[in-house]
Amino acid sequence: MTLQLERVTKKYKDFTAVDNLNFKIEKGEIFGLIGQNGAGKTTTFRMILDLQETTAGTITWDGKPVNAINRDVLGYLPEERGIFPTMKVEDQLYFFGELRGMKKSELKKEIDYWISRFELEDRRKDKAETLSKGNQQKVQLIASFIHKPQFLILDEPFSGLDPVNKDLLKDAILHLKEQGTTILFSSHQMDNVEELCDHLCLLKRGVSLFSGSLLDLKKQYGKTRLAVRTEWSTTQLLALEGVKDVRVEKEQTVLTLEDESYAQSIFEKLSNGKYIEKFSLDYLSLDEIFKDKVGGNVVEV
Amino acid sequence: MSKFNLLMKQLYTSKIKSKSFVVMTVIYILGMSVAVFWSDIKELFTGDDQAQQIAIVNETTADLSGLFVSNSDMEFIQNKSNISELEKKVKDEKLDAIVKITDQNGQLHAEIATFTPLKLNDQGAINSILQLAGQNYAVQQLSLTPDQAALIMDAKTIITDKNLNTESAGGKSEEEKQSGQFVSYAVGILIYFFISTFLSMITTEIATEKGSRAMEMLLVSVKPATHFKAKIAGVLLLALTQMGIIIVVFLIYAKFAKNGVIWDMAASIVSELSIGYVIYAVLFLLLTIILYLIVGALFGSLVSKVEEAGQVLMPAMMITLIGFYVMLSGMGNPDTLIIKVFSYIPFTSGMIMPMRIGATDIGVTVPLLSLGILIATIIVAYLFSISFYKRSVLTYSTGGVIQKIKTVLKVTT
Repeated sequence: MTLQLERVTKKYKDFTAVDNLNFKIEKGEIFGLIGQNGAGKTTTFRMILDLQETTAGTITWDGKPVNAINRDVLGYLPEERGIFPTMKVEDQLYFFGELRGMKKSELKKEIDYWISRFELEDRRKDKAETLSKGNQQKVQLIASFIHKPQFLILDEPFSGLDPVNKDLLKDAILHLKEQGTTILFSSHQMDNVEELCDHLCLLKRGVSLFSGSLLDLKKQYGKTRLAVRTEWSTTQLLALEGVKDVRVEKEQTVLTLEDESYAQSIFEKLSNGKYIEKFSLDYLSLDEIFKDKVGGNVVEV
Repeated sequence: MSKFNLLMKQLYTSKIKSKSFVVMTVIYILGMSVAVFWSDIKELFTGDDQAQQIAIVNETTADLSGLFVSNSDMEFIQNKSNISELEKKVKDEKLDAIVKITDQNGQLHAEIATFTPLKLNDQGAINSILQLAGQNYAVQQLSLTPDQAALIMDAKTIITDKNLNTESAGGKSEEEKQSGQFVSYAVGILIYFFISTFLSMITTEIATEKGSRAMEMLLVSVKPATHFKAKIAGVLLLALTQMGIIIVVFLIYAKFAKNGVIWDMAASIVSELSIGYVIYAVLFLLLTIILYLIVGALFGSLVSKVEEAGQVLMPAMMITLIGFYVMLSGMGNPDTLIIKVFSYIPFTSGMIMPMRIGATDIGVTVPLLSLGILIATIIVAYLFSISFYKRSVLTYSTGGVIQKIKTVLKVTT
């Protein structure tokens, strides 16, 4: 059971939202779709969910076009937070569950489990609009997968959650993965993506910059991130051969190398045969790769 | 349960308990109660009013006392003569009025003396009695035999209708037309109120789901067309429920209040109407509501948040208001050109055509044509809405209705 996008394109009258997008998500995998606002993430989701038609290309689930499958295998958490404001939390979950073809008796167990797991026990009889934003988001999240979908799409699931709830959500996502759910999610918080994703796709203005495994992406850049603690000034460091960029951080200076092969010679020059406190070569963080790929310093949140 | 039924049930059960629905239903019942018990209510407010004391001073030779009959509003004190004493009583407010009747050149002359002007309807009542007295007096002056006098006093013209247009079936008697007009008026008002209530209900309902972004969650599992149909069916069911409640309450009132007077009255009105009329009225009522619900659902899908619902509803509300006023204009004369024109326009025909059917002599083809136009409009509106809804319901845009439609077309084609 795989989701496959082939040459998927969405054109509007005056611009192209998604251009020739290809990727494949295997069963039980967590796949990240990364891009700035307006990169085409939500449009891609909507096309997968058949909420919007594609201009060209095909999207298939288990070999069948997505507009021909039983929609109850899908789960979706939209980016914009929304549930029925005047419906009670519990009723809300029953309603969405029944709408996805579950029976009340089956739902009870699931609802009890997730409500207690997300610490909403004392709010289950409250109207949704009286809940805090974070709690509403948790309710909506439960509603999106209460029917145990085979394939779950989460659009920016972490935005607006505090660190404790973020961890709750991460655990839940991993729990669903263990149960065999295929998960596609978008985020512009790279640490979450890095932690959860096996594979990802980088989108910039509708065009895919990279699609594949996270490790492959990192290998593409090589180990070019060099953190050192040194007396050398930035000008001196920049003058070194193979140094592309220098950035001073609180406790360290981070050099970006053109290639990992320069590391050895830099080490020799900096240490000059003596003791050196810090010299650490590593892959770029996803955050840095992302910034490099999309070519902007600011990731819009 | 199918998804359609689930959505419909959810809408129905949540709305039937909603304040707006309950309040509207209570208002209808209250309005009906006021109408049914109007005389008792009036009594409650005016019951402790004393009957007006009115002295009659008749200085003519004719006997007019038989005409001045005391009732609960006015008490006549006959055969008084001492004017100055009476006038003093009026000034002391022990007496409300003095009617002095004299002969002036063979005609009656009446002078009504008051300290505080009489109530308008009492004044009117006295005026008409005096008009009658004047005629009576004139007849008495002619020294006719009692039979002759009676003949003159009871003279009336007998009017019958003869319709030479064989197409307009049978022709209706004046009573039939009056009943038709009365019932049509009720149907028109009912349509107007129902449209106002349920049009805004469906628009707000869809706008709320769209504005709260629950819509996206729903549309992942339900096809937009199913969602659209479920909303219309749910609201229609609510409208029928409210209608049912009103009818049941009316029947209870009619049967049990005031010893069934209303029942007899309603029965006599219904017996004046043809079965064809009733079928037409019901069809127009239901179809007009359906048409407006389709439009309301479409408008609801256009707005981005519920606060904008009022804005998109304006044009539709204006049309119902126009229809309502055209119908009101028909109460005096249901045969004007403007009524004829509006009785074919699908958005207003429901309010106006029943009146034409009930209160004028029209052929079979006219209401059929109007009904046909209405049904055709519903089909076209339905087909258009269902395809447009899919595109508009997830498009969030700003601006007026036209701007929103443009945006939807732009981002979905």
